[in-house]
Amino acid sequence: MSMGMSKIVKTVSSVVFPFIVIYGLYIIAHGHLTPGGGFQGGAVVASGCAMLLVAHGSIWTIGKIREKQLSILESTGAVAFILLALLGLVFGTVFFKNFLVGNKFLFGEIPGYLSRVANFNTGGVLPLMNFAVGLKVIAGLFAIVLVMAYATSTFKKGEMEDGKR
Amino acid sequence: MLKRDFAAVIFFTVVAVFFVFAALLTHPFGSPDNPVMDDYIIHNTQTEVGANNGVTSVVFDYRGFDTLGEATVLFTAVAGVILVFRRLKK
Amino acid sequence: MVENLLIDIVHAVVPILVVITSVVAIYLKDLLAATIAVAAMSLLLSLEFYILQAPDVAIAEAGVGACLTTAILIIAIRATRRMEEV
Repeated sequence: MSMGMSKIVKTVSSVVFPFIVIYGLYIIAHGHLTPGGGFQGGAVVASGCAMLLVAHGSIWTIGKIREKQLSILESTGAVAFILLALLGLVFGTVFFKNFLVGNKFLFGEIPGYLSRVANFNTGGVLPLMNFAVGLKVIAGLFAIVLVMAYATSTFKKGEMEDGKR
Repeated sequence: MLKRDFAAVIFFTVVAVFFVFAALLTHPFGSPDNPVMDDYIIHNTQTEVGANNGVTSVVFDYRGFDTLGEATVLFTAVAGVILVFRRLKK
Repeated sequence: MVENLLIDIVHAVVPILVVITSVVAIYLKDLLAATIAVAAMSLLLSLEFYILQAPDVAIAEAGVGACLTTAILIIAIRATRRMEEV
């Protein structure tokens, strides 16, 4: 698997990969309107990245992005999430206060009671938290798969079990 | 050996009876026992939080600390896996 | 009325298939086949979540359980042995 699979699998996975990523980003961005959210969309995008990793091999993938960059991305998502919660403490009253709801310029409109119109400009701080958690989940889950695949890419069969290392 | 089999049969029978009684005592499907908090969230999430999706408003607004704990668990898992597997490749 | 009967049949059949695939995954000696059985169990579980009207949990289960867990288990099998020792 370290050298990758056949040319057919590589081509088909390269064609399918943008559709999976667009679908996952749609789930993340519309988390406050349709079912799904940051974790679900991040899991979908990480599944697409894992498909690309399996098709092309871990050596090719580690040349594209390294696990240190993924770790930095995941920490960025975590810091953004906690910073949004702390901004609720600054501008509002308590931790995790939804301080953006009801304002005039960003995600501030309020749908009426029992409204069925999907207005994207609603939700207060929820879309920003969805983006932060989505970035965190994409980077975290793909970092786990990438590190495990790259670390075991040169093993012979049963080498780890026999205690030769 | 026969005594151990007998004890295992008695143990699993008791556990199965408890499970059957617990399944008989649950509330019917789709009607929770205490719906006060559910009704509050369903009726107020569009005017308080401003989001049409009630589940996301519960996850990120009403129960934000739960999501913070989940993010901490994911961060710890990723840190542990990278710590174990980073130096394995020469 | 026919729709209700159909929904009840699906509610009865899908958990039975989940249990069957789990037992198959336990009894298989080939670990690669057992991993595929676990992936099938996870996919059927996501279908069960969807027909119980919880699409959030269904998306998360299909993404994490059926794809990422399978990839991680196959990577672990590649590093160790394929057949289970008795």
